[in-house]
Amino acid sequence: MTGRALPLVLTSPSAVIFAATFVAPFIYFFVISFWTVDYFDMVPGASLVNYREMAEKYVGVSVYTLWLSAVTALITVVAGFVYAFIARFKLPGYADLMIFVVLVTMFGGYLMKIYAWKTILGNEGVLNTALMAAGLINEPVSALLYSPGAVVVTLLHFGLPFAVLPIYASMRGIKDIEVEVAHDLGATASKTFTTIIVPRCRPGIVTAFSFAFLITAGDYITPLLVGGKQTLIGNLIAPQFGMQFNWPLGSAMSFVMLAISAVVILVFSRLMAWWCKI
Amino acid sequence: MMAGSRPIWIAMAVVMVIFLLSPIVLLVMFAFTTRGITNFPIEGLTLRWWGEMISHPQFGISFKNSMIVGLSVAVISAVVGTMAAMGLAAMPKQRANLYMSLLTLPVMLPSLVLAVALLSFFVSIGMKLGLWTVIVSHVLFTQPFVILIVHARMANFDYRIVESARDLGASPLTAFVTVTLPVIRPIVIGAALIALALSVDDFIITSFTIGSGNTLPTLVWGMIRTGLTPSVNAIGTLILVLTIGSSLIALRLTRYRG
Repeated sequence: MTGRALPLVLTSPSAVIFAATFVAPFIYFFVISFWTVDYFDMVPGASLVNYREMAEKYVGVSVYTLWLSAVTALITVVAGFVYAFIARFKLPGYADLMIFVVLVTMFGGYLMKIYAWKTILGNEGVLNTALMAAGLINEPVSALLYSPGAVVVTLLHFGLPFAVLPIYASMRGIKDIEVEVAHDLGATASKTFTTIIVPRCRPGIVTAFSFAFLITAGDYITPLLVGGKQTLIGNLIAPQFGMQFNWPLGSAMSFVMLAISAVVILVFSRLMAWWCKI
Repeated sequence: MMAGSRPIWIAMAVVMVIFLLSPIVLLVMFAFTTRGITNFPIEGLTLRWWGEMISHPQFGISFKNSMIVGLSVAVISAVVGTMAAMGLAAMPKQRANLYMSLLTLPVMLPSLVLAVALLSFFVSIGMKLGLWTVIVSHVLFTQPFVILIVHARMANFDYRIVESARDLGASPLTAFVTVTLPVIRPIVIGAALIALALSVDDFIITSFTIGSGNTLPTLVWGMIRTGLTPSVNAIGTLILVLTIGSSLIALRLTRYRG
């Protein structure tokens, strides 16, 4: 077993796992979106009934999910950019420490972070009791929890490390000398920022946006724990695989959500490309 | 930019660091405070919640399941991922990059979509849900991390030492075990620990593919849903120790710097 076959043999186990747990499940999952359900039994077919139901009943929640995902993603990208910018250009002496903090946060658990925000933002929570103890407020601010704002803050906290790392990686590709040369040639700080730093970070910014957008678009735990009555599309998808037991509808919802997300990410990517050219 | 702007940047960095760390710090802190609810003022310290955690009827089995899944995922993805990284290092660069971005696709997708696709597929092919279905599902999203980490190391690997071993008569396998592996061992162990951390932390995919039974995160979910008990903070802290602990060792081993 030598020569040209060896690389293929070595990669085959990973390819088999990928095919068996990703390619095959997604093909099957896509196919069942055209099936129907009859008394908790799936009936194979080629029906668009699930997509029609999606278009008739769930436009509102889809638009809301889209809007909240876009808001969260934009805030996350801006915050991530600022954080990476400070670490790379403003406080390079603390860059290692700042990235270390990001890595610790990233591995600090998904469910536990959302739970932590619930305990922070609740009526009897950390923030309210701390503010009351400090005498800043007299009674708890109940709007902190169970609001769209709470969902955005929680998802910003979860997504921020995933935004900082790709943007910081892009910024590390910009050499100090490039910025200095721009300055010496008479470019103002804002000119250097818009013509060198932002364009060079474009791949990182697009990756960060994609991550943050998809995290929100596909989430259902955060709305359950800290969100109010308004749910996201994920809160409709998850029960189809439990209590509601309508896999075909859940599948159609998932693919519509993925398709919309792909379009939004593509548009964002094009806008960044266009913006970086001028 | 003005030299006087430095304090503003420091202030902004401090605010963002506090934002990032405070939920984690508070969670850990309230696992040790006497009052049953997670708020101020703090009156005293106690280990009571840890005792409650251990005496919870589901804790022992959940911890064991988390360890079985996490360690299996770490070993399988380390072996499979290292093999793939070695294979990719010997391939044309373009094809290797294409393959890696393909394998990274599942990491980008929302966990919920992965979870329900896997659930419906496992059920359709008659695979019984349990720890094994959780393990293979986890390997799907941990193997790209291992491949990326090990492949990055192979990029500046000195192949001449392997060629010398081969010239001296070592078989490819012997050369790998005696020459390549000792060099890349810290990287492989680091990558395995990252896989362990990702697996132990996963909640969404686990909850859909486990059938019945619990791991630590699904146990926490059940406890949160049935009311806030302070021992949730203790279990949460335990999960954090496992995930942050193993990833910190991993970062040291792989010398990751952003």
